[in-house]
Amino acid sequence: MATINVNGERREVQAPGDTPLLYVLRNELNLVGPQFGCGVAQCGACSVLIDGKEMRSCITALSDVSADQEITTLEGLPARWAKHKGLPAETAKTALHPVQQAWIEQQTPQCGFCQNGMMIKATELLESNPNPSLLQIKEAYTTSGVSPNLCRCGTYAAIIEAVQHAATLMAKGR
Amino acid sequence: MATKNDNPLDLLGTAVTRRQFVKTGGMLAVGICMVGTAPLKGDTPKAAVAKNSLDPSLASSWIEIHADNTVLIRTGKNDFGQGSVFTAYRQIVADELYMPFDAITTVVSGDTDRTPDGGGSFGFLNGGTPNLRKVAAYTYQALLDLAAKKLGLEKGKLSVKDGIVSGGGKSISYGDLIKGQQLSLTIPVQGDLTSIIGLSVEGNPPMKPVSEYSVIGKSFPSSAIQEKVTAKAVWATDVRLPGMLHGRVIHPKSLGSTLISAGQVDKTKFPNAQVIVKGNLVGVVAPTEWEAIQAALQVGDGTKWTDWKGLPGTAKFYEHLRNEADWKSTPVTKSSATRGDVGPALASAHKKLSATYQMSYLKHAPIGPTMAVGDVKSDGTVHIHTHNQNPQELRGEIAKMLGVTIDHVVVHIYPGPGHYGRSNGGNAGAEDEAVILSQAVGKPVRVQWMRPDDMQWSTQSPAAFSDVELAVDDQGKLVAYQVDHFMPPMQDDRLVGAVIAGLPTMAAPAVHGDFVTTTSNEIQDDWLYTGAANVIERGHGTFQVGQEASPLAVGLRDHSMRTPGQFQQNYPRELAISEAAALAGVDAIQFRIDHLKEERAIGVLTAVREASGWDTRPSPGRNAASAGSTPVRGRGVSLMLREDSYWACVCHIAVTPDTGKISVEKCTTAVDPGIVINPVQLKRHVEGGAMMGISIALFEEVMFDESGITQDDWSSYPILTMADIPELIVKLIHNPKVGKYGGGSEAANALAAPAIAAALHDATGKAIRRLPMKPAYVQAALKA
Repeated sequence: MATINVNGERREVQAPGDTPLLYVLRNELNLVGPQFGCGVAQCGACSVLIDGKEMRSCITALSDVSADQEITTLEGLPARWAKHKGLPAETAKTALHPVQQAWIEQQTPQCGFCQNGMMIKATELLESNPNPSLLQIKEAYTTSGVSPNLCRCGTYAAIIEAVQHAATLMAKGR
Repeated sequence: MATKNDNPLDLLGTAVTRRQFVKTGGMLAVGICMVGTAPLKGDTPKAAVAKNSLDPSLASSWIEIHADNTVLIRTGKNDFGQGSVFTAYRQIVADELYMPFDAITTVVSGDTDRTPDGGGSFGFLNGGTPNLRKVAAYTYQALLDLAAKKLGLEKGKLSVKDGIVSGGGKSISYGDLIKGQQLSLTIPVQGDLTSIIGLSVEGNPPMKPVSEYSVIGKSFPSSAIQEKVTAKAVWATDVRLPGMLHGRVIHPKSLGSTLISAGQVDKTKFPNAQVIVKGNLVGVVAPTEWEAIQAALQVGDGTKWTDWKGLPGTAKFYEHLRNEADWKSTPVTKSSATRGDVGPALASAHKKLSATYQMSYLKHAPIGPTMAVGDVKSDGTVHIHTHNQNPQELRGEIAKMLGVTIDHVVVHIYPGPGHYGRSNGGNAGAEDEAVILSQAVGKPVRVQWMRPDDMQWSTQSPAAFSDVELAVDDQGKLVAYQVDHFMPPMQDDRLVGAVIAGLPTMAAPAVHGDFVTTTSNEIQDDWLYTGAANVIERGHGTFQVGQEASPLAVGLRDHSMRTPGQFQQNYPRELAISEAAALAGVDAIQFRIDHLKEERAIGVLTAVREASGWDTRPSPGRNAASAGSTPVRGRGVSLMLREDSYWACVCHIAVTPDTGKISVEKCTTAVDPGIVINPVQLKRHVEGGAMMGISIALFEEVMFDESGITQDDWSSYPILTMADIPELIVKLIHNPKVGKYGGGSEAANALAAPAIAAALHDATGKAIRRLPMKPAYVQAALKA
């Protein structure tokens, strides 16, 4: 039995401590935004934010996450934005995170399997750098993490445009 | 894939050929169609429709119009990221029914018990007339007939706007028209539901004139994107059934190894795990995913296999393919473009080129490995929950594996990672294994392949080589072009788990297979340069490498991947044409235009020349260099006709000769698909295709030793990252006078490789005729 803090809620989980966080989130908590892509931190499909940093949940053991740390999954992005902007928590039920909004407005995903990690990475980037340059966006998706975030459908250009659009939406406070 | 359906297939013994006819009497006089030679005789006896199938002769199996004037559509094709079923299909149906886009509120796709037509998820636009377009056109005529009767007016006096029929000062909505009654309309269909093509809607109902399109041509967003971005989509990976166990499969040690003994599970560590053995298939199931993963690793360590070394290995592969593979058993094919007499033209030529072009095996490489949930119930019915490009063919194959009829099998389809053709014949990998394990334990089992399984046990796009001889005369004209294309077959649709387990499957590719399972290498790439007087194109086929020698009957299995076969023929042709232009001392775009008659082909070349900032001059460039540590630059072009769409691409590159490293700096694509259905979606998909094309051109090569594929992750099989992307320019040419819409995105994949290779020649003065253009290969070729 362990306690973790996910999307603003404390959750009791049964899995043994060596279980990768990915399986805890998906199979115990039904938080299925993060996807299994490689299991060895080479693609980014399983990414979550832990205290604002993009982490690969496929190689992060449950026991390595303390109850004080704040885990955010794709499902938690609207609430994260509402909290960040000091909006009522109710807002998150109807309003999306600007990153999600930008992903829709730019029609970014194709199969969409990698896009969880792409949106998590965008959120990490834009929280620390609200107006990234093209080079900084490329660095974020290739050299800032343990591996590049991979997309097989080739949506990289659409991702860049969506990050830039999200930066605009966030600056406007939407 | 070609989508012609001249010869309905019956690979699995499940063909249901229906030739049903629209009745001609009373209010049902809609779109009289002649199918085959049978006369119209009112009711034609209906062929039996399997339980758990929709009756495709019923209009409501395809299109349901509700009382509130909203519409539900059903299609056997499902989305792999193209979005077509959520965008183009809604637009097409809305236009044919004279309704707004938003009226098409629901799209049901893929599920075998909820969709009518089957067929692989490719060629969505089917030469401009997808099944749903014809059904919509039939339905529209039936609705007009109904309205004419109801309003007491002649059909010709009616007009329809936004689903409301008006005439003589009266009006009525579709919803009110059909309230409380079934639309009496028989949809004529034929074909084999569980084949690669599925059923086709027959006949020629009157279609809406292109000039009246109001929904087609606009950039509607895809509803699938909204669901995925907000984590509301239910992916195949998310399916959890009551009592479900997690499964992992321990695949054999090599592509030809048989089982000596399966390892035992260590119950002290994994008390709930269980080992299942069926033939040479070893599976492990457990209640939790983590236990299943760990137990499978432990059991795998203790499992003993025979050794097998029946593959040539990457280093000796091309030598093997040319000299040892059997190219004699399979009849040679010739293209319809063959004309003139190449021999004398080559013999007397001014300047000649004789060259061989090589292409590696490629992985489809979905970001998520294949997975499926199998649920064999106690009454013998089988449910499969997965992501698959051809659910009805999978249904047929599972039925064959289990020795039951298809009415025992239902395939449920969910979104999943795109895999670009790998399952268009029904098998991505895990589906059959999930069923085998579920049958063994009597519970639902979720089989998730791990990354090494997906790299090493899935199919690949076949390797190929082509021998080209061409000649140009002293006027700079291409006078002779001869090509011999050599390629193993590309459509092994056998369920691999069933093969390993020794259960019944469809046949492996063979000399006398049908058009899908044949070893024959057809000419797939339409010859466009009609200005060349003497042309011969031949295709040579052989067996899959290692398959016949493998005691498992596995070997290197092949499967179509975006522009299957055509890529393997277009790359050599387009690079050779660029080389011919260089021989002639003519600019590579101008040389092409000089040999073309088709205006649309010239149009895309002209457009790409302008959009890319092409500098018109012969290749190689003045500053070309094949040595040195300073990057040199070049540009190249390619051209393709696919599914009625014309494509041209220009790549601008920089290459450092001493390292062989290529950087694509700009990639410009122009496409004329005729009518552009949805500009934003098409642009996004052209961009994506261009990226995958660059990835294939620069990085991707399946490596194998004598036993199997040696790559097991993204580090050993690298693909393009965001750091590698060029400036991307997409030029869409909306050309409504063509009168129909051609295929959308997949051709974009094929264009980059020949354009980059031509740019490399332009930059260095040396032609490098091998894919991928990895730094080591480029470096070695430049030094040679």
